[in-house]
Amino acid sequence: MRIIELNLENYRNNLNLSINFQPEGALLFGPNGIGKTNLLEAISYIAFGKSILGLRDNELINFSETFFRITASVEIKSQIFHIEAAADKTKKVIKIEKNLISKTSILYNYLKVIYFSPLDIEIIQGSPGKRRQFLDSSISQLKLEYLEILQRFYRILKQRNSLLKDKTNLSSKESWDKKYIEISSIIIKYRIIFLKEFAQFVKEKYHLISQRKENIEIKYRYSFPLLSDLDYFENLTNTIDKNAKYEIKSERSMYGPHLDDLEIKINDHDIRKFGSQGQKRSLSIALKLAQSQMMRENNECHPILIFDDVFADLDEDRTTQIINLLENKHQIFIATPNISQYNQINLPRIDVERFINSE
Amino acid sequence: MFSGILAELEKNLKSLPGIGPKTAQRLAIFLISMEKDKSLQIADSITEAVNSYHNCSECNILTAENPCKFCTAPERDNKALCIVETTQDVYLIENTHEFQGKYFVLTKLLSPLDGIGPNDIHFSKLIQKVKNENIQEIVLALNPSAEGETTIVFLATNLKDLVPSITRLSTGIPFGGDIEYSSTPTLINALKRRYTVKE
Repeated sequence: MRIIELNLENYRNNLNLSINFQPEGALLFGPNGIGKTNLLEAISYIAFGKSILGLRDNELINFSETFFRITASVEIKSQIFHIEAAADKTKKVIKIEKNLISKTSILYNYLKVIYFSPLDIEIIQGSPGKRRQFLDSSISQLKLEYLEILQRFYRILKQRNSLLKDKTNLSSKESWDKKYIEISSIIIKYRIIFLKEFAQFVKEKYHLISQRKENIEIKYRYSFPLLSDLDYFENLTNTIDKNAKYEIKSERSMYGPHLDDLEIKINDHDIRKFGSQGQKRSLSIALKLAQSQMMRENNECHPILIFDDVFADLDEDRTTQIINLLENKHQIFIATPNISQYNQINLPRIDVERFINSE
Repeated sequence: MFSGILAELEKNLKSLPGIGPKTAQRLAIFLISMEKDKSLQIADSITEAVNSYHNCSECNILTAENPCKFCTAPERDNKALCIVETTQDVYLIENTHEFQGKYFVLTKLLSPLDGIGPNDIHFSKLIQKVKNENIQEIVLALNPSAEGETTIVFLATNLKDLVPSITRLSTGIPFGGDIEYSSTPTLINALKRRYTVKE
């Protein structure tokens, strides 16, 4: 899986360019603010149909223009595809082989990208919502239907919360409870199955990165205590029955997948409280590498790996080690202001500043 | 931009389903520029239809006669009841010629976000009907949305002691569909409710 050619029109700060990439990828260097991240973001736009940095489409359009367009030729399992994404101030259009696609999520079947960002550390030290989001998006990339299940879950959750708050239609509560428990159980099933394999990969990757024997443990943390002789469905049913009054008083759903968390321990201690910055950084990279491994196992493809200046607080040896860890079947893009950190890395170099000025 | 009477007409047309601002403007201009007789005929038939159509007192279907033609048809099966959300759904099911019983229109689906509970879907009227007419079979023909599914659970739970047979429309692989492109939940449903092709 690789990107062969990328063309940008009116994308962000003056990027109108056409660029060909080698199968192994590129090391993009240049001073801060020159547009390295924009370039990486554009590559990932072709995979996700939206900005990986959470920007709105109209924020991607160059200030003096009314639309942007990204076109790319990509190779997926020896087949070449042409993908085009464009947006003006009101709407977005995505085409695969010149055919308009009806839903952005159809794109997920094509290019697979794992984006390593300095903000990934938030998955570890941020709020539980960050970890749920990481978990859910990792599963969605493997199982397309999970996205629909998740949307259904949030719809039912919203309805049920409204019922608990409004209180006028509590006679239909039993039915909403039943649907809520049913869909929650499906979500949990997907998450637990995913985590079983994923946690093992994280452990392995972390050991390879840190070269230390620290024990990493990732466990799913439920939002209520579970009795081990019952399954999740029965546990949630009992908890909701027992706490009906409390939920009505609280005016929202107090138990379920939307409040669960991941517990990450390093040598039996909560990494959020006791982990060093270096440990957290290494682990955040391990999480993403494990995500890539999951894709390899499930789709037999090697996703494109994008590293946006994530190695800044690691030394050269550690960085080299991480890159060498990766199979050469991945196309790899690394952006950095500091090229000297990558002396031992064998990737084609692209001077972004010179490249943009020569266009 | 229109003003006065024309703006009012545009605003009213825009409230119709599938009509956006541009279409509303085009229709408004069209109505006032076409032959007067014809456009007044449209106005008259709207007035007439709106004045004569009401919800059937038996089944809630929109009808000009009360009770409606479905409720009074002697050849229809009195003991089978198909529960739908809207009057339009009744006609969609009628087009299939697969159901010969009677109908009950809920007019809405349970949705706490919109303040819709059992009273708003005519639940007590439905219970009365089921009891009075000794209904033996109920077909729940509701959308498989979050709201539709919950309404199905609600009705099934509350009617199960009164009616021997309660079924719902099948969910699974549609005609012209493809196993390869079906999502896992769709396939699960299709497998769970698979049917025999050879006894």
